[in-house]
Amino acid sequence: MTTPAKDVLVWDWTIRLFHWVTVGLIPALWWTAEEGHMAWHARLGLTLLGLLVFRLYWGVFGSPTARFSSFVKGPSAILAYARSSLRRPYVPSTGHNPLGALSVVALLGLLVAQVSFGLFAVDVDGLESGPLSSLVDFKTGRQFAEWHEFTFELLLWMIGLHVLAVLGYWLVLKTNLVRPMVTGRRPAETATPETATRNGVSLPRLVIGVALAGLPVFAVQL
Amino acid sequence: MKIQTLGLASLCVILASCGGADTESAEYRGDEELPNGMTISEMIETRQDGLEDVGGSFKTISDELKKGDPNVADIQTAAANVEAHSQEIGDWFPEGTGADSGVETEALDSIWEDPEGFEAAITKFETAAGELNTAAQSGDVEAIQAAFETAGGTCKNCHDSYRADDD
Repeated sequence: MTTPAKDVLVWDWTIRLFHWVTVGLIPALWWTAEEGHMAWHARLGLTLLGLLVFRLYWGVFGSPTARFSSFVKGPSAILAYARSSLRRPYVPSTGHNPLGALSVVALLGLLVAQVSFGLFAVDVDGLESGPLSSLVDFKTGRQFAEWHEFTFELLLWMIGLHVLAVLGYWLVLKTNLVRPMVTGRRPAETATPETATRNGVSLPRLVIGVALAGLPVFAVQL
Repeated sequence: MKIQTLGLASLCVILASCGGADTESAEYRGDEELPNGMTISEMIETRQDGLEDVGGSFKTISDELKKGDPNVADIQTAAANVEAHSQEIGDWFPEGTGADSGVETEALDSIWEDPEGFEAAITKFETAAGELNTAAQSGDVEAIQAAFETAGGTCKNCHDSYRADDD
């Protein structure tokens, strides 16, 4: 892939793959559950589990913009960012901005909760159940199923907010956040100076991450 | 900006439609006595406990069947329990124990509006539960698996038409 030299890489390919596969998985998971294709629901759910484990690992050992330490900020940084976003021209952050970071944490947290509850959930007839549900009794499994439904609603609200925010950046702040999430790059002139950081993927770390992600997926099926 | 306003407006519409109450709550008559001597609320509680117990037994069988080496004795106990409850279920839905009794229940009015259809669904379950127990007592895991799937199908068959969706 040839890109103009003035573009900078803000999202490595694993981040983008994680994002868009999750975008595809959520409606697929909803649909398989709705239509009762529970074997596929479980397969897709385990895929999401693996992706989440990788994303959490990548949040500690991954490329700079993927790391939680680089974007999870305290209230003062969030306020300062909110104020700076009122100034024109708006200069986008290289990775997640401090306000958007809240949304990232909420979305990831909800997805982790959603998948975890699903592992233990039991349907109302006791016929279908998550791969770890044999560890809990019927009533507890039903409770997990109810949480599984509740977190899904929260997730839908959070996704709605996320999409509205992306729309707001586009319409109000004239900043396209979708293109960098597809290509990984944004024009250098709209990026802040710290974009000198490399956001490439380290192969050894990638291999470790994939192995780590696979572990729980196989473990819960034993 | 216009698109954004449109987005906000549609969000408000969605919010409003979620908030609306969809059922009028009926006047509470849970203390009224039924011909069988139980109150309406006692009857509803009995059948909910019973059906929950059937669900628990199904889960036990399902959990065992998922294992490479299922515990047949546990399956037998559970299957016997399902069959016992299947004999009682016909008495669990006397007239007057629907949602209009004011007691919380997912039993739909279609149970009493279509008694023949409901009875046919119950009979299917009774038959399948009997066959499940027979298969369980034989100890043949493959036969249990097949009978379990059939019995599970009869749960869904009835629930699709006669129980409110829980979501």
